[in-house]
Amino acid sequence: MDSNLAAGLAMGLGAIGPGIGLGIAVSKAMEALGRNPEASGAIFVPYVLGIALAEAIGIYALVVSLLLIFVV
Amino acid sequence: MEGQGGSLIEVSIKAEPLLHIGPFEFTNSMVGALLASAVLLAAAWYFSRRAALVPGRMQSLIELPVEWMADIVSASTSRWRGYVSLVVALFLMILVANWIGLLPGVGTVGVHSMEGGHEVFIPFVRPASADLNFTLGLALVAFAVFVYWGVRVNGVTGYLKELVGEPRYMAPLMFPIHLISELSRLISLSMRLFGNVFAGEVLLATMLAITTAAIFTIPLAFFVPGVFLGLEAIFGFVQALVFALLAMTYITMAIAEHEAHDDEHGAHDERPFSEAPHEVASIEPEGIG
Repeated sequence: MDSNLAAGLAMGLGAIGPGIGLGIAVSKAMEALGRNPEASGAIFVPYVLGIALAEAIGIYALVVSLLLIFVV
Repeated sequence: MEGQGGSLIEVSIKAEPLLHIGPFEFTNSMVGALLASAVLLAAAWYFSRRAALVPGRMQSLIELPVEWMADIVSASTSRWRGYVSLVVALFLMILVANWIGLLPGVGTVGVHSMEGGHEVFIPFVRPASADLNFTLGLALVAFAVFVYWGVRVNGVTGYLKELVGEPRYMAPLMFPIHLISELSRLISLSMRLFGNVFAGEVLLATMLAITTAAIFTIPLAFFVPGVFLGLEAIFGFVQALVFALLAMTYITMAIAEHEAHDDEHGAHDERPFSEAPHEVASIEPEGIG
């Protein structure tokens, strides 16, 4: 029971940071796209890599909570 | 998990074995991976046999992702010809493997069997990327390739020098840090794909379980899992793209150090994929759009 609570907390708290980071990344990308629509090709790859790296933190939280549920 | 009244869905973090062949287990995620390979091989065989110079509608559809991905790769470094096929192959394999997981019957058709005193459900097919073995295998391939490119471009000593870092006296501190950061790419590449796809499967199963309980009282509950199915289709594509692009970026980073030096010789092809000469490109008729 404790580990289920810990898993929920780990995922919930761990999703705050990546959520903020993803929001910033997407908003800045959209801003850049609005200013300079021709640059969409140049923006796309760094944008996808950036959100992937920000999302990785959330995935670490997910892995920790999966470990708490299934392993501990 | 000992909740009250039993759990709504069955979640297994590891793939369930279907057969035992000697010491090896043939798991249901292997079936998923083999299915994805079979789909890709069949598509490659079928469309390369009847490839036309002026592509028809179906051929254009098949060529679209390949050409799009190859265009992105060809913008990375001047040595893109060395790794473009690997990156495109990673993208296509993960994309097909992810989308096979969304087909009806995958994860729901299976057998019940007794294991350790209680009954468990073993589906025949499990999406390949929802198994860490599959994603870790792909990440190992990507890891081997970008270390290979680092060694090939910089030489063994150059590669080790890069790991040691710039002020040489900081080596005892920086070498382990650089080593760990190289290895963490392996972990994050595999964990990202596995975590996303596995979490997606759990999400879909949960939504389905919740709405099947409500389907007789709320008629439109049927549409709720449909929305998430669409979401997972987008995620499957994005994760395939992210994996391939990260593999490409790591290779690019390994090569980029010597890029300026190579450009002096001008020995490499810098034209993007769609403009680079192909064997058939020279006889392409004009005025067909």
